[in-house]
Amino acid sequence: MAVLEVRNLSHCYGAKTQMQVFAVKNVSLRVEAGELLGVIGHTGSGKSTLIQHFNGLLTPTSGEVLLDGENIFKDKATTHAARFRVGMCFQYPEYQLFEETVYKDISFGPRNMKLSDDEIDRRVRKAAQFVGLPDALLEKSPFDLSGGEKRRAAIAGVMAMEPEILVLDEPTAGLDPRGRDTILRLVEHYRTETGSTVILVSHSMEDIARMATKALVMNRGEAALYGTVDEVFSQGDKLVSMGLDVPAVTRIFLSLHDRGVPVRTDVYTNEQAAAEFRRLLGKEARA
Amino acid sequence: MIRDITIGQYLSGTSFMHKLDARVKIVCTFAYIITIFLCKNFWSLGLMVAFAALMTLLSRVPVRMLLRSLRPVAFILLFTAVLNLFYTKTGSVLFQWKFLILTDKGLYTAVFMAVRILSLVSVSALLTYTTTPTALTDGIEKLLSPLKLIKVPVHSLAMMMTLALRFIPTLIEEIDRIMSAQKARGADLETGGFIQRAKALLPVLIPLFVSAFRRAYELAFAMECRCYRGGEGRTRMKQMKLGVRDAVTAVCFVLLIAGVVLLGRFFPAVI
Repeated sequence: MAVLEVRNLSHCYGAKTQMQVFAVKNVSLRVEAGELLGVIGHTGSGKSTLIQHFNGLLTPTSGEVLLDGENIFKDKATTHAARFRVGMCFQYPEYQLFEETVYKDISFGPRNMKLSDDEIDRRVRKAAQFVGLPDALLEKSPFDLSGGEKRRAAIAGVMAMEPEILVLDEPTAGLDPRGRDTILRLVEHYRTETGSTVILVSHSMEDIARMATKALVMNRGEAALYGTVDEVFSQGDKLVSMGLDVPAVTRIFLSLHDRGVPVRTDVYTNEQAAAEFRRLLGKEARA
Repeated sequence: MIRDITIGQYLSGTSFMHKLDARVKIVCTFAYIITIFLCKNFWSLGLMVAFAALMTLLSRVPVRMLLRSLRPVAFILLFTAVLNLFYTKTGSVLFQWKFLILTDKGLYTAVFMAVRILSLVSVSALLTYTTTPTALTDGIEKLLSPLKLIKVPVHSLAMMMTLALRFIPTLIEEIDRIMSAQKARGADLETGGFIQRAKALLPVLIPLFVSAFRRAYELAFAMECRCYRGGEGRTRMKQMKLGVRDAVTAVCFVLLIAGVVLLGRFFPAVI
């Protein structure tokens, strides 16, 4: 059974006024346990609005969100519980840090869950371990950390709630390549270690292509493409027509194809590219 | 939602009032507010109200919008009127019931106070409806510039006002974002008693202050990089020039004040 199911969800800003805008239009999806769903789309395509429904921060104009088959908007208690079951980490999460020490800040979520002190301590230490923050940093002020450390501390604050589903909105935005690699690696490590479901919003097609099991492409509030990574990236031309960036290798193969070279256009990883080149060169050598 | 709050209620337009120089508008608004308290009889009060109506017409601001700006003062209006109605003990008694005494003078005072408050609020609303916040601060800067002689940092004050207005929407957006982030971590911002709620706001206020300071530093650097060195020798892109329109308005206002004073001489005061 799907952990998270979204049925015909629409969200409209400024409903019943002249300025009503549909940020999300009739989106349906099913996320199975342990999957990594990549969400891609332009700024303003409705990705951020969509994901804020998953933990009940936004109430849909129509449609429903089911967690383990139960509508999270059924009553207030269920909506509140959804906040802890779906951990949401917003863009630039380091701006949410506020406590005196990193330890206290990470424990903010678990404390709100009214857990025992021992349990809180266990979760904080485990989350800090996941994001690679050494014990020495836990007693420091979060404002004294470096940019990358702050980001990781903030992500730990969400992980410490031990949510069944972890939603990360552009967790690598504004980081240098090494910082990006660190974050993505720790997300992958967290997922394999805990077996939890991860939803990753990203601009980078390469990251989604490499990490995700399924991909959702949002365009003007609608789910333009939704399926396994293979299904989505094999439609490179469609992605390009939506003005989205395709992985660099896909771009190379698309333009080779345009120039009349008989290659596949559904290549999106370096391994596939190498295989395709070998096939092509082998054919030419025979000819 | 928090983002529905609008501050600086400018309505774009090209009416007579919109095209008027901000300085003229500010001075005239003040002149109007002072003059309305000089009215002592119904003739002069009527003239002032008629003038306010004329300005509303010239501004093309919908009456509905003007009424909206009056809503927040409705309570004060009622309170002042009722208080004046029964508090004035002079004049001939019209009505008496136990300790409540209603005199004709009391009735007049109540009406005068109500009309004064109504017109002064709507005239100031008209000013903000027809003047952009930038033009308003520019106008204030120009008007206060004589104070530079006694070392008042007029330019800095005006710049601070402009920047404060500029950052209100940004900070509202920021509050929205931080609130969502903390709610996602289970922060309960809506329930509980007063103290509990004040405490629950800390996780929102601390990041807000931190980011406000960060923004201030960034802005200061950006301004310095573009060679901002205060008001000394600074020229403007939009020069403020007084035209025929402004002269006509000024003359009208002088006539209005003269009219009110003369009407006060010819007709007896009722309050």
